[in-house]
Amino acid sequence: MIQLQHIERVFQVGDEEVHALSDVTMSAESGEYIAIMGPSGSGKSSLLNILGLLDRPDGGSYELDGLRVSGLNEKEQARIRRHKIGFVFQFFHLVPRLTAFDNIALPLKLSGMTREERQTRVTAALSAFGLGNRAQHRPDQLSGGQRQRVAIARATIMQPSLILADEPTGNLDRHAGVEVAEILEELNHQGITLIMVTHDPDLGRRAHRRILMVDGRIDHDSSRTRT
Amino acid sequence: MSHIQARDFFRYTINGLRAQRLRSVLTATGIAVGIGAVVLLTSLGTGLHHFVLAEFSQFGTNLIAINPGKVTTHGISGALISNVRPLTIEDGEALGRLPQVLDVVSVVQGNAEVTGGGRQRRTTVYGVGAAAPRVWNIGVATGRFLPDDPPRAARAFAVLGHKVRQELFGSTQALGMRVRIGGETFRVIGSMESKGQLLGFDIDDAVYIPTSKAMALFNQESLMEIDLLHATSSSSAAVAEQIRKVLQSRHNSEDFTITTQEKMLEVLDGVLGTLTIAVGSLGGISLLVGGVGILTIMSIAVNERTGEIGLLRALGVERSQILTLFLGEAVALAAIGGVVGLGLGIGGSRLFSLLVPALPSHTSWGYVIAAELLAILVGLVAGVLPARRAAGLHPVEALRAE
Amino acid sequence: MQLNDILLFSMRAATANRGRTLLMLLAMTIGVGSVVVLISLGDSARRYVIGEFTSLGTNLLIVLPGRSETTGGPPPLLGGTPRDLTLDDAMALSRAATVRRTAPIIAGSAPVSVGNLEREMMVLGSTSELSEIRHLDLAQGSFLPPGDPTRAQAVCVIGMKGRQELFGRQAAVGQWLRIGDRRFRVIGILASSGVSLGEDLGELVIIPVAAAQSLFNTSSLFRILVEATSPEGMEQTRHFILETIRARHQGEDDITVITQDAVLATFDRIFRALTLSVAGIGAISLVVAGIMIMNVMLVAVSNRRAEIGLLKALGASQRQIMGLFLTESAILSLTGAGIGLLLALLGMRLAAFLFPQFPLQLAPWSPVIALAVALFTGVVFGVLPAHRAAVLEPVLALARR
Repeated sequence: MIQLQHIERVFQVGDEEVHALSDVTMSAESGEYIAIMGPSGSGKSSLLNILGLLDRPDGGSYELDGLRVSGLNEKEQARIRRHKIGFVFQFFHLVPRLTAFDNIALPLKLSGMTREERQTRVTAALSAFGLGNRAQHRPDQLSGGQRQRVAIARATIMQPSLILADEPTGNLDRHAGVEVAEILEELNHQGITLIMVTHDPDLGRRAHRRILMVDGRIDHDSSRTRT
Repeated sequence: MSHIQARDFFRYTINGLRAQRLRSVLTATGIAVGIGAVVLLTSLGTGLHHFVLAEFSQFGTNLIAINPGKVTTHGISGALISNVRPLTIEDGEALGRLPQVLDVVSVVQGNAEVTGGGRQRRTTVYGVGAAAPRVWNIGVATGRFLPDDPPRAARAFAVLGHKVRQELFGSTQALGMRVRIGGETFRVIGSMESKGQLLGFDIDDAVYIPTSKAMALFNQESLMEIDLLHATSSSSAAVAEQIRKVLQSRHNSEDFTITTQEKMLEVLDGVLGTLTIAVGSLGGISLLVGGVGILTIMSIAVNERTGEIGLLRALGVERSQILTLFLGEAVALAAIGGVVGLGLGIGGSRLFSLLVPALPSHTSWGYVIAAELLAILVGLVAGVLPARRAAGLHPVEALRAE
Repeated sequence: MQLNDILLFSMRAATANRGRTLLMLLAMTIGVGSVVVLISLGDSARRYVIGEFTSLGTNLLIVLPGRSETTGGPPPLLGGTPRDLTLDDAMALSRAATVRRTAPIIAGSAPVSVGNLEREMMVLGSTSELSEIRHLDLAQGSFLPPGDPTRAQAVCVIGMKGRQELFGRQAAVGQWLRIGDRRFRVIGILASSGVSLGEDLGELVIIPVAAAQSLFNTSSLFRILVEATSPEGMEQTRHFILETIRARHQGEDDITVITQDAVLATFDRIFRALTLSVAGIGAISLVVAGIMIMNVMLVAVSNRRAEIGLLKALGASQRQIMGLFLTESAILSLTGAGIGLLLALLGMRLAAFLFPQFPLQLAPWSPVIALAVALFTGVVFGVLPAHRAAVLEPVLALARR
């Protein structure tokens, strides 16, 4: 499903060039559950951004579902993000002035879906994530765990084939963290590919495959050691 | 009680503005456009003011006009309509005997066909006396003006205006030629310099003949106007009073109207001054909007810099100093915008003068300084609310916002 | 994204920060309000003047004695001429098929007295037809009787103000008054007390034209008013007048004929130009308001980087983000314009209430102009911030917290 070949990403910091990613090659099958781990600054977030088409690599190629997406233009990439990829962030990234319902409905709005269709899908998603009675609450009226569940509901509302999660439990207490991890795993169980960036070893251990990043390179990939 | 040094205060303020360069530039631009509009408009207004006053005062401020009939609310001068009690040549002569009066012209105006040099032209005919060039401040180009004949027995001489001379005789000699005006023959004894349009009246398109001849020609019993120049040593009002007495005793009633040039200039001056201020205040609407812009941007700045304010307070800066800091930023924005606006306005009015040389614009420094002070005032007023909010922030809460 | 979703989203975004939104609306309100008020004042002045001219009469031609090759400027006042316009000339003009009526006019100023009350008044000598041509209404009594214009009947019609000053509370109709050294009987009072073209109808005395001729000892007319039967007949009538007078004046073209249309068109042009320039000055404030909208939207873009990044992560294209921000500034400017328009309307209503003698009202096309200009301002000054938002790198936008 995912095919990364010799990905390079260089940032200019002051006079210095920083190689956030250098010669990263990896692949992932549909339905995999991968944790990307590593110390801060190791390039794990950069990798996730490249995978999510939020950032463009300076070199190398990226194929998603057999399509070479690294060469697509901005508009086509936006379409792919909209339909194939769901994002979950450490800081939830909910629009503060919108209710839980409207935050979840946002991707549907962007894709031009009518109000009636949205209504049924968002209502279903709210009850599926145990937020049925929180529909009209704004983010500041929700607990951290509830916020992340809204964010996950939003990430899955377009029924993507890939979920990218950046420290999804990093801003939650232990109990809420476990709850969120379980929800994500349940989604993975239904066949959605789950790629998660974390430096929480407990969370990392739950994944079926672990990729360790050090200094912008893949230092260790559990799937490779197995084969 | 600590005092921030003026220089440090200034640096801090400028630093705050430079940190958000684009934002500051745009805010100042708003003020600049407003001030520019005010300066440009008042410059044009003042230019027009000077222009019109110059047009009028070329007659001299010691000119007084007397018209028959009381000018009433109709707004039509008594000269153009019939009047039961006319103004006569003798009235003019009587006024000429007043000690302060230098020159008198008795005027009749009409419209007639002038034939001469084989051509015809319908033009304005003025019945005047020998003093007309002096009173009206117009010069003779060739020959001489009408002689000082006895008013009731003037000889049939005519002096041509520049345009009539050109139209009838072209480049050929006009002096000594004969012209027919309404059935009577006149000998051309002079022609006038070109004076161009004077407030819409083309005084070049005119022929001057003796008053009595014109009255007979137009079958008029009354003069249209008596114009006189008085000695500059006596005031217009005093002379006007003398005139009133003379005419009142001759007519037994006040059936005439005296207009002094001085009074007219005064009225005109007032009207044009008001006009300039009115147009300037229209431009001031933009300044008001610019002020709202400063208010908005400063409120945003206070919001964004809540943490900084908390820090300053924690470092021992007093409320009043925070107030002054933010007020200073607002005033600096407005003042900088104001200076740029002055440049825009002055430049604009210069450009206008180049493009339309007929209407000179005039940048009056009074307005310029007033505009810059206004800009600073706008900044001060717009800055008060945000600055007060900044000063009123609780240090602990402000720090927490960081 | 569906249109109503865009609108709703932008509306929420625009109203999220209430204080800032109110200030932006205020700026736009001042700008649009002042433009609309200035346009409306100019337009009201134009309609007032045109109305005054139209109330002079319809299909009107004015014949003046004298002619100048260099005519320019509004109504020429030409002074005396060697050959007068006479009552016979006026009567000759009424003989054409395209002429409905004519009214000769002699204007003068004379002392009018009743007992020992005296005041200087404007005296018009004319015929019974003046009343129809000038649409004069009578409050009391009747206008000058029709009949042979050369007969000098000693009757007069006076204006309301003159009536009050000379007769006070006593009945005036049927009473005698003195104009100059002659006696006239009052047979009617003019109803209208307004000012029409500089003539205060309230201070007018109208007497038969023949009586005015002997009062002022003149045979020459001030002007002749001619009413054509139809607007189409105006040009034909004009030719007829010029030819008739030329024939009567030994082949000399010594009159000027002004048609009302020409005068009206001139005034219309002058007032339109004036209105436009005043509105233009007011529009400078709209530019300032536009700059302000741009500024605040730029601030909004930098404050909402995270949100923009999120929208991009959710699959919003550059176009969509641009559209959202443009809609936001358009909503702000349009709302401001709406409020400005409303305030202008109220202001004009108030002015009309305070000065009922002037036809003050909102110019009919000003709402369209105001809204169009406001939308234009909002979009033009919204483009830069919206573009900034659209090209924001999603990674950078999300990274900042």
